[in-house]
Amino acid sequence: MIRLEGVTKTFRRGRDGEVTALDDVSVEVTKGEFVFVVGPSGSGKSTLMRLLTREQRPDDGEVWVAGKNLRRLRSWKVPLLRREIGYVYQDFKLLPTKSVRENVSFALEVIGRRRSEIRERVPEVLELVGLTEKSDAMPHELSGGQQQRVSVARAFVNNPRLLLADEPTGNLDPGTSVEIMKLLDRINRTGTTVVMATHDQAIVDSMRRRVVELEEGRVVRDQSRGVYGYGG
Amino acid sequence: MARWRYVLSEALGGLRRNLLMSFAVILSVTVSLTLLGAGLLLSEQVDLATDDWTGRVEVSIFLCDDRTCPAITTEQRQRLQQDLEAQPVVAEVFYESKREAYDRFTRLFADQPTLVEAIDVATLPASFRVKLENPALFGVIREQFAAYPGVEEIVDQRDVLNQFLRFTTLVRNGALGVALIQLLAAGVLIANTIRVAAYARREQTAIMKLVGASNWYVRLPFVLEGIIAGALGAAVSWGVLYAAVPRVTRDLAREVELLPFIGVDQVIAVAPIMLAAGVGIAALSSLAALRRFIHV
Repeated sequence: MIRLEGVTKTFRRGRDGEVTALDDVSVEVTKGEFVFVVGPSGSGKSTLMRLLTREQRPDDGEVWVAGKNLRRLRSWKVPLLRREIGYVYQDFKLLPTKSVRENVSFALEVIGRRRSEIRERVPEVLELVGLTEKSDAMPHELSGGQQQRVSVARAFVNNPRLLLADEPTGNLDPGTSVEIMKLLDRINRTGTTVVMATHDQAIVDSMRRRVVELEEGRVVRDQSRGVYGYGG
Repeated sequence: MARWRYVLSEALGGLRRNLLMSFAVILSVTVSLTLLGAGLLLSEQVDLATDDWTGRVEVSIFLCDDRTCPAITTEQRQRLQQDLEAQPVVAEVFYESKREAYDRFTRLFADQPTLVEAIDVATLPASFRVKLENPALFGVIREQFAAYPGVEEIVDQRDVLNQFLRFTTLVRNGALGVALIQLLAAGVLIANTIRVAAYARREQTAIMKLVGASNWYVRLPFVLEGIIAGALGAAVSWGVLYAAVPRVTRDLAREVELLPFIGVDQVIAVAPIMLAAGVGIAALSSLAALRRFIHV
């Protein structure tokens, strides 16, 4: 599903400063896996996620996602790649002027899905995330956890093969975070590969899934059924 | 279908959201295209006048017909023609009878029936139309033939025409130059407006890109927003020209009787060019504005 080979990415900072966000990273994620990417801020987690959606391109190395070599992918084909990826943000990124249902429908509308399909699919997903009753509510009427569930629904409505979540529990309290993790776990059990960047230690420790740890742009640990860190 | 409805409603929504800016864009396109259209119409005018005059006549020798001086006799006329043909600076001579002068006049002013009605075959004088080897040698002709019996007046018609053409060309170039600058300014204004619009909707745009909306689908509402404003500006400016130009040329035709003037037909003919310019500049500057913004 995902393969990174010797991926390096550096950014210019200021006049002559260069920051190496990723340094010779090689990781492989197979179909149906659930992977945590952990590490302190600035360790390269977000850059890794952005490489997978082709928001950024590596300076060196190869990135494969869903059978596509992202280095060679023509820019007009990037939208097709992103239709196979669902993305969940830390800050939800819901449209404030649209209702819960409209926010989810929007993701299908803008890729040209038929109305009949949208009418069928959106209620299904809202039921999956447990928001059927809130379908007509506006985002500001919802709690943070509910908003994040809308965001997950939007990411999953198109049945993506891969779900990326960048700190999805970062703005939530521990109880709500557990709810979101249960949801992601259920999505993973439908066969969707899930990659989640986080520094929520409690969650990583409780889930006991594969953990890839980054430090200063390097993979310092790749462990199946891991915990957040050795030293805590 | 649903997709087009989305694109259109987003575009119109964008125009409405920023009404003042939309108004400024339409106004600026209107000003530039009015100038552009006026410049193009002046070109038409110059061409029309030039076609009619150039290559035909450089010097007219009008002949007496009893109205201002005793009519020229056949003998006098034949001598005049012979002498003209014998004169080395003359390249070509042809005789235009009163009838031919009248026919030409009616053809020239076919779209101004009142003018034609005021004239009959007797009104216009017969003339010799003379082409010179070197148009600058007009003085030679005047000196030699002005005193001929039966000659009423010798006119270097290039003088009249050139004055008119020089002036018209100057005005046209000025109009086209200013139109071009204005059009550039309109383009910058459109680009800026679209950038503001794209910024206002950046969250929506970002989400669209991330869920895999195609690039044209993300961009089209913004481009269409620019195009609608451009087309509106073109329509308004064309309306201005349509209302004003035929009226102005009609008045001018009354003052300057020797020239044909453009009318409604030519104004209609420039409509597609103006529309294309308005829509084109809007589309180009919108796309340019979005290039940076909506890439990735």
